Amino acid sequence: MEDDQANVSHGKEKQASVELPLHWSEWQLLDSILPTGGFAHSFGLEAAIQARLISSPDDLRTYVIHILENTGSLLLPFVCTATTSPDLETWHKLDRMLDATLTNEVSRKASTAQGSALLRVAASVFTEVPSLKKMREISLNFGDVAFHHAPLFGIICGLLGLHRGTSQRAYMFITLRDIISAATRLNLVGPLGAAVLQHQIAFVAEAMLKKWKDRAVEEACQTSPLLDTVQGCHAYLFSRLFCS
Amino acid sequence: MLHTDREREREMESKIEAATGKLVVKKVGGKSTVTRCFSKYPLKFIIPNKVGSSETDAVWVYTLTYGGGIVSGDSISCEITVADACTAVLTTQASTKVYKSLGSKSSEQILEKQIFRVVLDSSLVIVDWITSGRHESGEKWDFELYRSTNHIFLEGDQPLFLDSVLLEQGSITNIAERMQDYQVIAMVILLGPKLKQIKIQVQENVRRMMSEQLYLPSTGLRPHGKTQSDHFLAKPSFVVSCSAFGPKGIGIVVRIAAMTTESVYRFLQHQLAGMETLLGVSPYS
Repeated sequence: MEDDQANVSHGKEKQASVELPLHWSEWQLLDSILPTGGFAHSFGLEAAIQARLISSPDDLRTYVIHILENTGSLLLPFVCTATTSPDLETWHKLDRMLDATLTNEVSRKASTAQGSALLRVAASVFTEVPSLKKMREISLNFGDVAFHHAPLFGIICGLLGLHRGTSQRAYMFITLRDIISAATRLNLVGPLGAAVLQHQIAFVAEAMLKKWKDRAVEEACQTSPLLDTVQGCHAYLFSRLFCS
Repeated sequence: MLHTDREREREMESKIEAATGKLVVKKVGGKSTVTRCFSKYPLKFIIPNKVGSSETDAVWVYTLTYGGGIVSGDSISCEITVADACTAVLTTQASTKVYKSLGSKSSEQILEKQIFRVVLDSSLVIVDWITSGRHESGEKWDFELYRSTNHIFLEGDQPLFLDSVLLEQGSITNIAERMQDYQVIAMVILLGPKLKQIKIQVQENVRRMMSEQLYLPSTGLRPHGKTQSDHFLAKPSFVVSCSAFGPKGIGIVVRIAAMTTESVYRFLQHQLAGMETLLGVSPYS
């Protein structure tokens, strides 16, 4: 697979893990059991239900597709650049930019919560990459780093030796994974139905990836202003299961 | 398809280099005054001598495009400088209409970019909205591509607000589908110390409005959609949310999705009425 070859050629601090195929780290990173708190976020799905925007399984499918498109247009550039240049300076620049780009307070807070958790976990788990721990400590001391999710996901992938093609596809995957999971907990679909839906949408997610991958962060844009408005209403919900 | 759009955008950007309009507002004799005003076709500035109360220090500038609208292929750029302690309002006389150029090979694409450079004690209000077209005649989100970019930079290069909304007909999702039944989307930005009271009031008003509109539907998903008696399950006709941004939340951004233009107008009228003391006239009155 071309991704494997690209992964090997991108390895920098990988002497210790050269015996361990990259798949082990990659799959662990994408496994929902990794304790990054992704299950606390619904990507605006909970607000959309309470705004009666979702009243059929087709509505749910459409919603997921629109969120994936927006993930592609808005966040993949950050994942891509971070994977290609996984250094402190690039990370901080991307973090500042994304903080100004996520103008929706609900999604901005979700991003920093998930990013912080992800870096804490990655620094503890992937000890063969000591710069993860170092970068985390330096940035906590700075005080004005927001720890946004997409750039950190890209940084971690890059430092593990994953290619930017893989990291961007992986980011689409975990977004799809987390919304589907939220949909089951919101009783929109059962576990088996969710699994079926996830696989069906994977084909669409791949098409979205092809359309939106490898773009510069200056081109980041949002494509679903309606969903952005609705997600922003999450804080007004009287009863809620999720943080966002 | 995206690749071709980028090429077209690069073309447009090189055309914009020579600005179509330039405005400078400075204090002259203690009053905000337009000291420099330049425009060339298709842009024109209209600056009435007096708008509203003469006790208020504010300059109103109306922009006008010849023909009353923009046709695909037009490119217009404007540079405006507002000096310390001055107040300026930049607006259009009526909504800017975007026309399809009939028989033209190029598709209808509108690219708008606004860059604001502010300092710590600047105050700024931006209202940016787009409607789906002549929606009463069935024209709903019919155009090929619309992109509106609003960037705000603080004290030089510090990014404060970077927003770019792209509406593009796609093979997988089209614009109308993404908008559902909403015909208007709007964004209002309120930034800075002069708007402190209005910001607090707007946030409170939006919270109150939406809290009444959001509730758990009593039933789960049905396989074949809504039934007739389900008016409780109807979508709200006006959805609005408010987010703070910037250090110490110096700014708020209000996002709106509405089914009618009138509802947005009423909202703006009501929420921005408090600006009369700053501008001499209540905007959207």
